[in-house]
Formats: sequence, C-alpha cells, structure tokens
Amino acid sequence: MSIIRMVDLTKKFGTFTANDAINLSVEKQEIKCIVGENGAGKSTLMNMLYGLLRPTSGKILIQDKEVTINSPVDAIAYGLGMVHQHFKLVPSLTVYENILLGTELKKSSKSPFIDKNREIDEVTKLIQKYKFELNPTDKIEDISVGGRQRVEILKMLYRNVDILILDEPTAVLTPQEVDELFVNLRELRTQGKTIIVITHKLREVMELSDSVTVIKQGKVVGNLLTKNTSEEELAQMMVGRDVVLTVRNTRERDAADEIAYQVENVSTINDYGKEVLHNISFSVKKGEILGVAGVEGNGQSELVKVLTGMMKATQGKVSIYNKEITNEWPDQLRRDGVGIIPEDRYAQGLCGTMSIAENCIAGYHDNPDVCKAGLLKPKKINALRDRFVKDFDIRVGDINGNVGQLSGGNAQKIIVAREFESGSKLLIACQPTRGVDIGSIEFIHNQILNFSNQGNAVLLISSELTEIMSLSSRIIVMYKGGIVGEVSPKEISSSAIGLLMAGIKN
Amino acid sequence: MKMRNISMRLVNSILPVLLAFVIGGVVILAIGENPLETYGILLGKSLFTQKGLLNTLHYASPLILTGLAIAITFKANIFNMGVEGQMLLGGFFAGIVGAYLPAMNPVVAKLICLAVGVLCGMLFAMVPAILKAYFRVNEMVVTLMLNYAMIKVLEFLSTGVFRDYSSGYVSTPTIKDEAMFSRLGSSKLTIFFFVALAAFVVMYFVMNKSKLGYETTAIGKNLEFAEATGMKVHKKIITLMAISGALSGLAGAGYMMSEQFKYTLSFSGNPGLGWDGMLIALLGGHSPVGVLIAAVFYAALKTGSDHINLYSTVPKEIVAVIQGLIILFLAVKFVDEHTDIGDKIKMKFHKKSHAAGREE
Repeated sequence: MSIIRMVDLTKKFGTFTANDAINLSVEKQEIKCIVGENGAGKSTLMNMLYGLLRPTSGKILIQDKEVTINSPVDAIAYGLGMVHQHFKLVPSLTVYENILLGTELKKSSKSPFIDKNREIDEVTKLIQKYKFELNPTDKIEDISVGGRQRVEILKMLYRNVDILILDEPTAVLTPQEVDELFVNLRELRTQGKTIIVITHKLREVMELSDSVTVIKQGKVVGNLLTKNTSEEELAQMMVGRDVVLTVRNTRERDAADEIAYQVENVSTINDYGKEVLHNISFSVKKGEILGVAGVEGNGQSELVKVLTGMMKATQGKVSIYNKEITNEWPDQLRRDGVGIIPEDRYAQGLCGTMSIAENCIAGYHDNPDVCKAGLLKPKKINALRDRFVKDFDIRVGDINGNVGQLSGGNAQKIIVAREFESGSKLLIACQPTRGVDIGSIEFIHNQILNFSNQGNAVLLISSELTEIMSLSSRIIVMYKGGIVGEVSPKEISSSAIGLLMAGIKN
Repeated sequence: MKMRNISMRLVNSILPVLLAFVIGGVVILAIGENPLETYGILLGKSLFTQKGLLNTLHYASPLILTGLAIAITFKANIFNMGVEGQMLLGGFFAGIVGAYLPAMNPVVAKLICLAVGVLCGMLFAMVPAILKAYFRVNEMVVTLMLNYAMIKVLEFLSTGVFRDYSSGYVSTPTIKDEAMFSRLGSSKLTIFFFVALAAFVVMYFVMNKSKLGYETTAIGKNLEFAEATGMKVHKKIITLMAISGALSGLAGAGYMMSEQFKYTLSFSGNPGLGWDGMLIALLGGHSPVGVLIAAVFYAALKTGSDHINLYSTVPKEIVAVIQGLIILFLAVKFVDEHTDIGDKIKMKFHKKSHAAGREE
C-alpha cells in the first residue's frame, strides 16, 4: 500500500513551473531516494509535502486519504517529519533543549518547571542509541556544522514520525558516520518507518535505497527499483547525457619541485579565545593539487578564513613564491595571485541581490581593465560578463538580472570564472562543488585540473572524500585544528582516510 | 527585471504620497473646505508659477544635500542619524566665520564659509565613524544622541560666547554682506541652489558609476561578501561618513548664507533640515535622482503651505498632517518589502489587471 501518493502535483512561481504534474508514490516501509540536479524541483516538491509551500494544483494522499497540508504542524500531525538542508535550530540553546523544543519534559504533568535532568537523560539515551558524537549540554553555536545536522536528525527521530524526509542528509558526515546513519535508517525501516531521502549522491542512492525517483526540470523522468538500475543509468537520466562520474586524475607529469605556496606553523584563536588551528604547516608545489580532508568543524573553515584574509593568524607565516603574505587583506591577496572559491558562495563569494555583471568583477573591481580613476567602465564589465557566460557555459535566464535567480551550479560557475580568469597563481578552493549539480561538478573539476596542469598550485578543501581522492596529488587530513596525517590518494583507501578523519591513527 | 525594479520602487514612493493626500483630503473635507481646491493652491502656487517654483527650488537646496547625506550612508546600511547635528555645526561656524571675516573678495569669502561648514560637518561625523569602524560602537545610537549634545553646545555658544547683544533675542551676529548669497531676481533663489545641484551631480556619479558606489552597494547588501572580496569595510565606513558629514555641513552653511544669515535657536526649523532629509531619502528610495525629486516635492509642500494660509481658510498645519502621513505610509512600504503580504496583494493585483486586460 502506498503511504504517500502525489497525483499531478504542480507548483508554479509566477510563470515559472517548478513542479510539473508530479506523480509519485512511496510505499510503506521503504527507503525512497529522490534525485535530480540542482534546481530540478526536489526541494519544492518536499516543501509542498511538508506544508511550507502550497501546490498550485494536484493532490497529496496519505494512506489513501486526500490531505491538505498547510504547515509543518499539519505535516507532523500526519506523521511527516523533515530534516532540512539548512538547519532550523536555536544557536543559543543547548543540544538537548533544541531536540526537546516544544515538547519539554516537565517535573510533573501540571508543573510549570522543566525537568532538566530528565531531559538530559532522555537525549543522552537517544544519542547513544544512534551512536552520534554529541554532548547534550553543548550549545548549538559552539558545535560544528556536522554536529548541528546530527541534532537536526535527532530532533525528528525523537518525535517518532512515521515518514522521515531527509534533505541532503549526508553532506556533512564522514564515511563512517554515513555508514552509521545508513544503519540507523535501515533500522528505522525495519521498525516500520518510511524514509524519503533527497540527494544527488548516486553512490548513496545505490547503497541505501529501495526505490528511486529521478526528477529533471520539474518533471519525473524515472521511477525505478534500485536493484534494477545503476549509477550510470541514473546519472544519465538526471542530466540527459553521459557524465564522467569522477574525473580521473589524468596528469601525465608529476608536480615540479618548486614550492608555490608555503604555510608554516600557523595557529589562530576564535572569538571565544579557543585555539582552533594549531601549528598548521604544509606546502603546495607548482602544478600540484593538495587536498585537505576532514570532517567539517575540525578547523578547515578557520584555515580557509586565515588563508583568505578573513581571520588573523596569531602566529606562523604564509608565503607565495617566497613572498610573505601572512594576514594580508583579501584585496592584496588577490593582487598577489591568490584566487579564492569560498566555502559559502552566497555569504562570501557572491551577492545574490546584485547583478551578474557586478558579481563578475567582485574582488577584482580595482583592476584597471574595469575601473579607471575610481569610475567603473560598464561596457567593459558587461563584455567580461558575456565572455564568462559563454566560456563557462553559465545558464542565465535574464542576463541583466541578479545572481540570486541562478541555480547553485551556475552561481558557482560565476565564482569559478572570476577567480580563474584573473591571473591567479594559486587557487584556494573550499567546497567547490557543494550543492552543485552533476554536470557542473564535472565542469568545475575539469577546470581545477586544467588550472593545475598549467603549472598553478591548488589547495582543495572539501568534505567530499571522492572529490579529494580523485583530484588531489597529495592529501592532508585535519582533525581538531591540527594536521593528523599526510597520505597519497593512490596508496590509501577511503576507509583508511575515514579513520584518520575520525582522529584514529593506526 | 530592471524595469520592474524601477517601477516597483516608483510605486513604493508614490503610493505613500497619494495615500497621504487622500487622507489629508478627508481632513480638509471635515474642516468644510474643498480638498481639490486646497491641493490646487498648495501645488499650483509652489510648482506652477515662476516665482513659486523658484522659491521652492530655494527651499529644496539644503534638503537635496541632507537627503543625499542620508542616502549615501543608508545605502551602505550605515545609519547616520546625525545629519541634523552635523548640519547645525556646519551652519553655525559658517555663520561665525562669515560674521567675523575681514573685508575681502566676496567669492573668496563665500568659499571660505562653505569650506568651514563642510569641514565642521565632516569632523563631527568622524566621531561616530571612528567609534563604529574601530570599536564597533553602534553608530545609530551615537549619531542620534550627539544631535542633542550638539544642540546644547550650540545653544551655549550662541547665548554666551558668540551672542549678538544688539539683538533682542538669542542670536549670533549677522554675517557680512560678502558672505551672503544674494537673490537672483525677485524670487528667493540664490546661487546656493546651483551649489546643491553640483553636489547632486557629483553624488550621482559617485553612487551610480564609481568604484566607491559599487562597494557601498555591496556593503549594504552583503557585508560578509564585501569583506571577503577585499573591500575594506572599516575604511569605507569612514569615507562614507565623511562624505555624509561634508554634505550635511554644506547644507547648513548654504542655509546660513542664503536664508538665515545668523544662528538662532530655531535655525533649522521644526522638524530640522536633517530630519526632513531622512524622510526625503526614504521617499527617494536612497537614489540620487529620487532624492532630488523628493526634495523639490517636499520643498513645494513647504512653500505651498504659506499660500494655503493666504488663499483659503484651511490652516497651513494641514501640510504637517500630510507630511506625518507620508512618514506613516513610508513605514508601511518597509513592511511590504520584508513580508509576503505585499506579494499576495501584488498577486491579486496581477490577476485583476490580467482580467481587466482580457475584458478590454
């Protein structure tokens, strides 16, 4: 029996059709994956199911009864729970307070006071049950991004919903944690729950799901049983063409011996005075890609901030081709040839409410090509934008519109175009393909490889292990603000790196 | 997209004005007068007669400058609420220098007075700017409170140190003839209007065509993005506040030299030119052209109010009522931009206009 059925579900935003007559059914006690490129309409579909958006037309049936879901409260009442991609937590409250928010445990049923000890006990049990690495009394604002997602998942698990929707649940987990999560999800399935996972990681689809639905440009293009399909077939359905799933590291020659970028003994403290980077030292050679692996929240963000001029190093030295650039401002770094693909593209890389052209010059707006005597040259800037759009295959609806209208992949390509085309000698790429569709991932990976093959240095920071493994010449692994090991991607398995990422040395 | 943006901003600025006039009309009806006739006098005499228009432009001059002073900082999400104080200080010392100036070339005398005004406004704006840029002190509180401090300081200076005892009330000495902007023709218009217009042209280029304008927009829209792409935000805060203070000081100095000629305790009127500037910047959507239009419109209300007194029995305070209503409805626009209520209304309008279109 289908537990959820969507019949001709359509959602329009103005003239844009985000979901076009979607027909989808989810069986009871199955793990259903919904895959599709960015902007394909997966999130819109799930938001309608969870009551955050109202369908333009069509029906939703739960247990064969037609329902109208007007809010997440309704959804939870129907037994639907959602773990969002963007966390909805209160940063100033603790882990246990967030999990029990709205269902606080009282000392007795009539008492107005919260039984703190019982709450902590309950949450501790929950955490132990799912083997999550969390301290119930930590504040959300102090824990890592990965930790926050674990809280988000626990929040729904605590509410005992029948149908659990997870939006990109594994994006921030280590391979070991992903495996654990999968074990938990399968356990939930045997207990009678239904799970819907939105993802674009095909390997996980194959490993986890019972059935899979592929969405492309707002339409369902395939409903398949996982056992009858393959990664390649799904990928082809998603993008409508064959894609190389992981770019092979095809460099013929080894990196030169000349050191391009050197980081020596860099340490830093965060706003709370806690040391978050401890004696980081590494170097990147000319023509080399150095990968930085690690579970999120182990100092990679801070390392990138220090190296890109957003945070000050308290000690240590950074130099590019023997020129010291420690604690330089971002504008000076760019003049020294450091290209930056920042971690959060809409926070640090782009301004969503400014035009595409304006975003194409950000960081390089001082360049004499586009700016003379303090006045900008609109014609030159538009020509630059047109060249980027053409050369990097950036798909834009309205060329004069804002960057906010672009899908994740196309927005990221603007950053890539800007940083590659400005004469950089070193690229610091942080999560370059996060939330980006498969076609764009392939494109960006190839760009990075070409860039390094031209004799430039690349520092690649990513929580996506396959990305690090397939692109890097060498890999360093970060754990708790330090480097715990350096490995070669050719000689190590991903599970061995996973152990290093978890801080376990063999 | 761009056209839609502009038309949306236009609606957001014009709708509050229309609504204010409609409700103001109800008030006039209640008094027993004809609102259309009253508005005819109000706008006709101030915009559609030559003398009235020139007088309006005269009163618009300082408002253009204070409006621009607000607009440039608000665009970067820096809230310089101290335009009034900066304007007063600039006006005061332009007046003092103008009064004690030795005899000299009138052009040089005027330039010196304007420069003093600009400098005073700029220096006074540096206090909150440095506190904000280097010590992260909230500029809104500091600038707002410093206005009151400045009013008291100037009250002290004008009642004691610089008092003109020959005058029957508290005032500083009248400025020398060399420092006065004389009237052009029979209207009140002076060269100061063209000074303000020149400042407008410069600010138009700064805000729309320059690197600084680009960075201002980026800082206002996404601070983290601005920092990450190497726009040194703390330096920009100082620069923008300096520009804002300079424009305020220029407004004060020009107002002193073209209208008031001496500092009295009611120099800036009520509400002051700085506060009017804030409304004008809001009404003009923080764009230089918008500010120019809003300033002229606002000045037209001011000149028109005198004519209402002359030609009808409606009290001139009706203009204050309309101004108050404009502020109220401008605040409604703010709600519109940040909630989806506006979207829903727009959707309804959209459907209706579609339906109407089909009927035609």
